Amino acid sequence: MIVVRNLVFRRLSIPELTIPPGYVSLIGPNGSGKTTFLRVLSGVLKHAEGAALIDDTPLRERRIGFVNEYPDRNILFSRVSDELASTLRFSHLPCEEITRKVDLTIERAGLSHLADRYIHTLSGGEKVLVALLSATIHSPEVLLLDEFDSHLDEHAVDAAEQVISSSGAVYVIRCTQNMDIASRSETLIALFNGRIRSIGAPSEVFSALSGTCYVPFAWRSRIETGP
Amino acid sequence: MSPSHGGLGLKLVLDRIIMKRGSWSCAADGILVPGIHLISGRVGSGKTTLAELICGLLEPTSGELVLDGISSWMLCQQFPEYHVIGATLEKEAQSYGVVPELALDRAGLTGRGGEDPFCLSRGELRKLQFSCLSLCDRDLFVWDEPYSALDCREKQRVAQHLSTRSSGITILFTHEQRYFPKTDYLWEMCDGVLKYVGKVPEALPLWEHAPSHIRFLIGKGVIPANLTEEDLGEALCRMQG
Repeated sequence: MIVVRNLVFRRLSIPELTIPPGYVSLIGPNGSGKTTFLRVLSGVLKHAEGAALIDDTPLRERRIGFVNEYPDRNILFSRVSDELASTLRFSHLPCEEITRKVDLTIERAGLSHLADRYIHTLSGGEKVLVALLSATIHSPEVLLLDEFDSHLDEHAVDAAEQVISSSGAVYVIRCTQNMDIASRSETLIALFNGRIRSIGAPSEVFSALSGTCYVPFAWRSRIETGP
Repeated sequence: MSPSHGGLGLKLVLDRIIMKRGSWSCAADGILVPGIHLISGRVGSGKTTLAELICGLLEPTSGELVLDGISSWMLCQQFPEYHVIGATLEKEAQSYGVVPELALDRAGLTGRGGEDPFCLSRGELRKLQFSCLSLCDRDLFVWDEPYSALDCREKQRVAQHLSTRSSGITILFTHEQRYFPKTDYLWEMCDGVLKYVGKVPEALPLWEHAPSHIRFLIGKGVIPANLTEEDLGEALCRMQG
């Protein structure tokens, strides 16, 4: 379990929160603190008060994959294959293994045609998919995704889900404004004004948010059509 | 095929436009008349490239683009961060030629004019950009994924604002699945080629990239009058009898 205790940082105020393993979606209005929360979890931002731990270890000391909400801020290198290799190179893996992993990863994702492309020539959605592959190529224990799906169409989301599910990450925590995607999570956290408004199974959280636009259309339809 | 021209003065002509980058290419041929045009397509299909071609940020490899009667235009880029030229929110709003206080107020950023735009969350930055653009008037407005990073309330506002644009040509490039303005014409990027699908609502059953809930309604024999929340709600009621 990820345990957050007495976290106070900028607009965030989370006295206690336990996040189980599996797929977790973080939803809420723009400016509610979702990105700040993910950055605190990842260790990109260091908080002065409180703790975010896995098995009594600070999250930032574990192997974490992170996809930034600004697609260009994920990118360090100019060519797709170099970008994918970067995480492995920084980990000092043997060159042959790096080449093998990069080829396999990009082939499995069905993106081999992008391998030699320059990143600046990619579409927004393609940049995000490259960032996702870079974040997952080194088998992170915790995968943190900040609204990466806002640049993807339905088919690309499906492809991204395959990448995520095969990453081996024990915890997948993502911010999303796509409530259909959120509804497929095992755990949903609603964050409003820096505070947890609701946490639980999607049915519980959407029930708590009943009457708002955060309830997905399909769920509204189900509610309106009955069981 | 293209929508028939009603003689309303403005016309955007895409005359056998082709854009090539290495082995990748996209093509567009058609005429866009006043009204709201929704263009959908898969990731990497060329939507952003076409948006940038239309607004003159790119030169086509071949073909010609004619802005007939269009004297002013504006592009809302996919990434709000690409728009930023002001060091503060106030300067950024001023760069659009709008009253900063009004733009900040509309974006829910009242009193924060002195802050750095890059200290905002991406959703907040998008709200500011949209707020500024919504205060501008142009003959041609091209919106490239204007919903990305916005929460559902803001998406509703964007859709409502676009619906109120009664004159000029509005082109909306998006893969948004839920919130749409009242749309006049549907287009799709298919295999790198812009295809005119038709007028709404008649074209909805032919829409290859239709969101799943719209496909569901059509599968049940119910065609929404349009794509707004109200239209979809009404179609849902009709389906339920």
